[in-house]
Amino acid sequence: MKKKIGSALVVGSGISGIRSALDMAEQGYQVTLIDKAPHLGGVLTQLDYQFPTDHCGMCKMLPLVERDSSSQYCLRKGLFHENIDIMLSTELVAMEGEPGKFQVMLRQEPSMVDQERCIGCGECAGVCPVEVSDLFNAGLTRRKAIYLPIPHNIPNSYVVDMATCTHCGKCEKICPTQAIDFGKEARKKFRILVVDDELIVRDSLKEWLLDEGFEVHMAESGAEALEKMSETHFHLTLLDIKMPGIDGVEVLKRAKEIRPDLPVVMMTAYATVETAVEAMKIGAHDYLMKPFDPDSLMPLIVNLYHDIKGANVQEMEVGSVILAGGFDSYDPFSGKNTYGYGLFPNVVTSIEFERMLSGTGPNPGKLIRPGDGEEVQKIAWLQCVGSRDQQADADFCSSACCMFAVKEALLAKKKSGGKIDTTIFYMDMRTFGKDFQRYRDQAETESGVRFERSRVHSVDTTGKDDGRLRLAYADTAGAIHVEDFDMVVLAAGQRPPSSTQKVAEMCGVELNQWGFCQTEGFSLSRTNNEGVLVGGSFSGLKDISESVIQASSASLEASRIIHSKGGGLSEEPSPETDVRDVSREAPRVLAVICGCGGALSNSVNLDEISNWLEAKASVSEVHIIDSICTQDGWDNLKETLQNNLANRVLIGACMPYVYARKLKELGNSTGLNPQLMEVVDLRTLVFPGGDKENDLLKQEVRTVLSMSIEKLKGMDPLPVTTSKIIQKALVVGGGIAGLTAALAIADHGFEVTLVEKTGELGGNLRTLHRTIEGHSPQELMAKTISRVEKHPLIKTHKDAKIIYSQGYVGNFSTSIEREDGHGETIEHGVTVLATGGREADTKSYSYGESEAILTQQDLEQRLAEGTVAPAGLASVAMIQCVDSREEPRNYCSRICCQSALKNALFLKEQDPGIDIYIFYRDMMSYGFMETYFTQARKAGVIFVPYDVNQKPKVNLENGRPKLSAIDPILGREWVLEPDLLVLSTGIVPGDGLGVAGQFGVTVNQDGFYQEAESRWRPVDFIKEGVFMCGLAHSPRSIKETIAMANAAAQRSLRILNSEKLAAGSVVAEVRHSLCSLCERCIAFCPYEARHYSEDEEMIVVNELMCQGCGSCAAVCPNSASVLHGYSDQQVFGVIDAALENVA
Amino acid sequence: MAEKQIDFDIPVDGSDLLESVQESVRACMQCGTCSGSCANSFAMDFTPRHLWRLAQLGETDEIFNSKTFYLCSACYYCTLRCPRGLKLTEAMSALKRLATARGIKRHRQSSKFYEIFIKTVERYGRVREMEFINRYFFSLKDPLLPLEFVSLGFNLMKKRKIPFQLPILKPVRDQNGKVKYFEGRFERLFRKVEELEAR
Repeated sequence: MKKKIGSALVVGSGISGIRSALDMAEQGYQVTLIDKAPHLGGVLTQLDYQFPTDHCGMCKMLPLVERDSSSQYCLRKGLFHENIDIMLSTELVAMEGEPGKFQVMLRQEPSMVDQERCIGCGECAGVCPVEVSDLFNAGLTRRKAIYLPIPHNIPNSYVVDMATCTHCGKCEKICPTQAIDFGKEARKKFRILVVDDELIVRDSLKEWLLDEGFEVHMAESGAEALEKMSETHFHLTLLDIKMPGIDGVEVLKRAKEIRPDLPVVMMTAYATVETAVEAMKIGAHDYLMKPFDPDSLMPLIVNLYHDIKGANVQEMEVGSVILAGGFDSYDPFSGKNTYGYGLFPNVVTSIEFERMLSGTGPNPGKLIRPGDGEEVQKIAWLQCVGSRDQQADADFCSSACCMFAVKEALLAKKKSGGKIDTTIFYMDMRTFGKDFQRYRDQAETESGVRFERSRVHSVDTTGKDDGRLRLAYADTAGAIHVEDFDMVVLAAGQRPPSSTQKVAEMCGVELNQWGFCQTEGFSLSRTNNEGVLVGGSFSGLKDISESVIQASSASLEASRIIHSKGGGLSEEPSPETDVRDVSREAPRVLAVICGCGGALSNSVNLDEISNWLEAKASVSEVHIIDSICTQDGWDNLKETLQNNLANRVLIGACMPYVYARKLKELGNSTGLNPQLMEVVDLRTLVFPGGDKENDLLKQEVRTVLSMSIEKLKGMDPLPVTTSKIIQKALVVGGGIAGLTAALAIADHGFEVTLVEKTGELGGNLRTLHRTIEGHSPQELMAKTISRVEKHPLIKTHKDAKIIYSQGYVGNFSTSIEREDGHGETIEHGVTVLATGGREADTKSYSYGESEAILTQQDLEQRLAEGTVAPAGLASVAMIQCVDSREEPRNYCSRICCQSALKNALFLKEQDPGIDIYIFYRDMMSYGFMETYFTQARKAGVIFVPYDVNQKPKVNLENGRPKLSAIDPILGREWVLEPDLLVLSTGIVPGDGLGVAGQFGVTVNQDGFYQEAESRWRPVDFIKEGVFMCGLAHSPRSIKETIAMANAAAQRSLRILNSEKLAAGSVVAEVRHSLCSLCERCIAFCPYEARHYSEDEEMIVVNELMCQGCGSCAAVCPNSASVLHGYSDQQVFGVIDAALENVA
Repeated sequence: MAEKQIDFDIPVDGSDLLESVQESVRACMQCGTCSGSCANSFAMDFTPRHLWRLAQLGETDEIFNSKTFYLCSACYYCTLRCPRGLKLTEAMSALKRLATARGIKRHRQSSKFYEIFIKTVERYGRVREMEFINRYFFSLKDPLLPLEFVSLGFNLMKKRKIPFQLPILKPVRDQNGKVKYFEGRFERLFRKVEELEAR
């Protein structure tokens, strides 16, 4: 089934870029994913451990349905999806057109290294004379100008860093596979015209350029130059500006008339730089400054040559563009640098520290002081470096650094067996995300991480030559402490990437005051240009799960644009290929060995291998084809297979994961099931540097080949099953999350049933009247409800509840019952649970006993109604974290600080004379919310921190609240008698177990929905086909809720888009005759793909949900549960083969 | 967003200056960078952060009862490092000026010290230690006070930190050639500036 009409461009291949690309690809769009860097993965390539598991887990983002469209492979190493074209070292250089129909121009840097030929042997780097700091290890190690961008990438080919390469050509000569080509041959045909009135300049340039292998022509005046230009076709002109007669600028003008496409580079002395800049405006390609020094000039010319000649510029049409350019780190060396970064070697940034912990880092994971290699015993983390600092132009919070520091402190503890002393110096510990607070608390109470509330002002040495660092800081009470540490880790904040301005101009999108992408109103992904969306940190500052959510939201919006412009996903019937049934044939394996451009044939005797293979009974033929990875080699292979009776194919080559798409295509053209084809990696075995004995190598090659033959022999592929999908959705919950999700799905042309338990749509929005940014939730609500009610594909049931649901992805059946007693049963393919949350009730602080004690929501409501008038208020006190961030509700509700700031600012705006006091534990004004915290301070709101063990006390006197609390700075007790006491009680989940139970999904200990994986699959339940969004997942703002609703819709659409969904080829099956119905497999299945069918009295596997992990096969006591392609017989055969050649 | 510029240069007699000080530290978030940075905080009764907290709360009396601001040596560390970019050293100076203008008794010594110091500078363009010290002691009108400094004074003189110098003053005469008063070399300059500024 082929189904791609629309296409999208994703700029940036970090986590959010990958998420967006995968989303759209899974939905059926053709996606081009580009990145400026020569590698995929963005900043996450540098991070080995992620909160909260302290593992990676990125692979969890791979497709769960239609799995075979993508290689199931470590996502940190590479992404191989049939709908995604990846272009690295590529930038977006121009964009025109309108949403739904953009013409984009992409420019790919010439790589110099043929990716298909490079075998990653590293000889080139061995001879490269250039050494620069390696950005992958955050500058802690050095690398050559020809290098591996990421040590774990696949395929891992070397690339040339053109900015530092001196073009010495040494690597070109030593490369054993001739993969490196600096184009010396091509240079002979590259004609350069040098125009200068000074003989000496002409002569020396000529000499230098000839040395570099170019063809050089000269002209001593403008007139001569123009004459030559009209006669001969030049590829580049070097043109002096100051010449007698016709000057350079004039020559340029006329040259542009003669040959408009001729690149002209101006040569200028310092005095005429301005003229040169002018010349650029009328079409000069670049300019060079005199006097010239051949050592620096020639690389520039060569780069120009590659620029003109080598750069691969591609134009394409895409429906929408997603910008996911990520972020840059703040450079602590810039600015005042009171922390001595770059001066004291033991002061490092958090990314550097992360690299130091990594096995691919500077000291393979061993934590030692970078300055002197000494053991580390005591580490300090300093938060808010380049964040929350107006002197660093950062009136924002970088959102992720607090958790980053906690994680790093825990890792340091773990690495050292708890020996390292860890202290985090912070101002507010921003643990605002789901499960963050408990993680932080555990770090403190269980692992002994010390949290010190103080901003350290500077870092100094101890005065001795011991490499240690001295911190002086004032504690809250004002006492000054001096403490020495071995290392200091700076939580460097985030900044927009350097190219943001350029990209924004090109795409016509606006930036905010800090240079991040500005998003529209209530959206976190829409920009002012309808067809251009943003994902991830490009619009500012977020952690992985928020980036992933927002990336999915961006792809939803992108898809919606393409869809609305008529470029949607219409299915294009593709011929169903008839797969040959070979189950009754004896296995005949066609073995093809790739010579690998000589790399393999040089190391092992291929004829010998070939004879050995032919002697095997199951092998029908053996062929040796060189470079199967090239088109020629592949065609050769195809031809060989077509004229052959073989029913299995074994390819001995390299990198099996890149062949998924190719094997599918081979299957289509030959009628052989791709599952009967196997690619084995022979090349890794012969990697140079291994220095294996020839016999050992021979044995290894034989072993891997015979193992694969055994595997192929036992392969008995079933036809891939497809399930019919009911292309309808059920959305539970009529708040903004549910409404948004329903609209997003319905806008793609699918029917949606929306069930709301109350009589009204809108949920919490009904009580919200302003956002802190000044948007109107009421308007949003009215607009959204009206769109939902008018939408022909959305059917709304109010006053209705779910009474029963059953089924699985693609095939649910749910009964609802309305208040009037009428019921209905709905068939649907996916379910979105958006059951919301509400402000928590409280009994604390005498709530409910006085008219003057309100919650934040009460206050907002009364201000809107006018029952509380700012004019009548003299003083207002607010208490944050009421019953929150301590057991049993030990989580941050994330939005209360915003609400308090919003209400406080509103009151101050209405009447600056009102005294407002906010009692808080940590102000969670993350991201750009920080600026409102600043504003509130400036407006005169008094903020008083309190400790959880010393909460403010509230008594009622004559029905009026009297509040006493300690001001830790002044160290004295305050007594206030505010006119209003406002409590921030936080959010609790609205539904709880009711709906979750009906759909067989789980909630966490706080009653919020339990997602499949908090970072990588934040809106999925473990149970495929059911998704969550909004407050029911965790407390969040309107914007964040909408983004999440879009993400849930996006996850739904990838299922709804097809009439049928194919299961993976590797799925489990139950041999019912052997099954004793012990149901252990059901408990063990991590994907809930199994259930006991009472009707059939047997264990049933849902093949769509089964991910082929094999847990069931392992746990089954009777071998009744089997995994296709991994039957016992087969696996034993493979093991025997593995041992057979061992001497 | 146009930031409101805080002006410390307004006349010292009004309460405006105090409001300016309060205004200037409103955005303070009590992170403690200033207190940690302050070289003189050991001698202060309140740390700088404590003082700013009092300013936020409008506790004027307590501020002027404290000697913190007079102990500020204007090293500018806090201003340099304050993450909020607050002009803390200037706020300290403003408090000194306010205390002087208000003639707060508790701070008389410190006020006089500053006053005499600057008067000496006005005379010579630099401080002349001997003359400055003498004028300072005279201004305090406390005959016992100098006794407290005797040993310090001797030490300083031994190290030649305080040289013996007599005032170098020129007589200023009226048209009749009669000496009106004596002045230092620089005083005329300051007077001229005052005249110009008054205009």
